Parts: sequence; C-alpha cells; structure tokens
Amino acid sequence: MIYDVQKGEIKLSRILNKLDQFVADFCGLLDNYVIVSGYVSILLGRSRATEDVDLLVPEMTKDEFSKVWKRIHDNGFWCINTPDFEDAFKMLKEHAIRFAKKEPVPNMEFKMIKNDFDKYSFNNKIKVIAGETIFFISPLEMQIPFKLFLVAEGSEEEINSDKDIEDARHLYKLFSDKINKEEFLKIVNKLNVKDKLKWL
Amino acid sequence: MAMKAEEIKVDIEALKKFKKRNMEERLNFIDYWVNYIKTHSDEEWSKQQNVLINSQIK
Repeated sequence: MIYDVQKGEIKLSRILNKLDQFVADFCGLLDNYVIVSGYVSILLGRSRATEDVDLLVPEMTKDEFSKVWKRIHDNGFWCINTPDFEDAFKMLKEHAIRFAKKEPVPNMEFKMIKNDFDKYSFNNKIKVIAGETIFFISPLEMQIPFKLFLVAEGSEEEINSDKDIEDARHLYKLFSDKINKEEFLKIVNKLNVKDKLKWL
Repeated sequence: MAMKAEEIKVDIEALKKFKKRNMEERLNFIDYWVNYIKTHSDEEWSKQQNVLINSQIK
C-alpha cells in the first residue's frame, strides 16, 4: 500500500473481495462521489465486514437524479426505501436512501452533500487505485476525527469496544506518518473530540 | 436442569474488569494487524481479510 500525499493517491495491490466488487459496481455508475465512514477503513485493510457503505454525492436536481436512478436500476440495483422515483427524491432531500443488488445486505447508503464536513470530504477526497478499480474516499484528516465523533459519549469505563474507535485507530496507526497533523487537529477541534485522541 | 436468571450471582466489578480487558485486547489486535499490513504484501493481508468478508456476503 503506497500513499502519495502530493498526488492524493493510494495504490493498493490487494485482491478485491465481494464487498469491494459490490462497491466498485455501484460507484462505477456515478460521475461524482466520495465514500465515507466504515468502508474506508475496510478498503484500507481493517479486518471486518459491514452491512452498509456510506456514500456522499453532490446535490442533484430532480432531472439529474432521474438519470442516476435509471442507470442504477438498469444495472441491477434497487432502492430499499421505495421503488418509486418521486418518493425516493423526496427522501433524498431529507436523508440517505439505500440501494442493494439482489439481497438487502450489503447496501449503499446514498446521501447528498449537506454540510461543510461533507463538502470537505468531497473536495479533498483521496483516489484509491486498486488494480484496475478506482475508489474515491474521504481524506484521513477528516475520516479519523469523524469516527471519533461517532464514538458513544461516556467515561473510559463506560465505553466498551467500539467499531468506530477501532476504525479510527486502524487508520491513524497505518498512516500516522502521512497525515497532515495541522489539518487533522483543526478538524479534531471543530468536532470537539480532543478528549478521544487517547484511543488512537 | 436449566438455570434461572434469578439464580445468577452478579459481580459487577469483575464484569467491568472483563470489559476493560476486552477492549484493551481488541485495541492491541488493531495494532498487531496494522503492523501485519505494514510488513506483508497487499496480496497477503487482503487474502486473509477476504476470507472473513466473502464468507459474509452471498
């Protein structure tokens, strides 16, 4: 695994698994996207699976979404929330909608960019090149603090093993020499997760 | 004979210690696995990860 920070590229020589292939099939249908949350850690080696993959896409008009909706369905995916395009578009303006292929698990959680954290992830995304397959993932400087933000509140004694802590620690330990610490700490402060850095 | 829930004796302190130790062990494994990734080829570590993931997806 080689991370070229200047280029914003990670090169992987990994063998793709069924989950990677599922994600690649779906993302290949989109013009623009960024993968956030748990699958980022999994793609970069974390030894766990997941039932859903979180994806952010730029805000779309109804017409733009109708083209994406058709392309997704023409390629064998279906929307878990609703089969109706109008309903799906309404939902998408409020929250994420999910797409699956055959079985409901795994599925893609498809969400429009809403806030500045989403925008940051999208505008600073990292290109992951896994052989012939390309994925775009959230930058580590955002991904790690955001994972810490998702950790349940509570004292050290109250917090049990937590996948978000583990995902954050995995990425931090793996790329500690590549992370832009200044940028990382700014986001840590914005998300108010300084007290959770002890888990890394 | 089956045991009833009311018969269970609870030692909360012991359970808390178990929880703490469990978390430490999980975090230690993260460190071990990251080191494994750093010292082995992508092909090697992904082969192991794929056994876990492929077994959970149809």
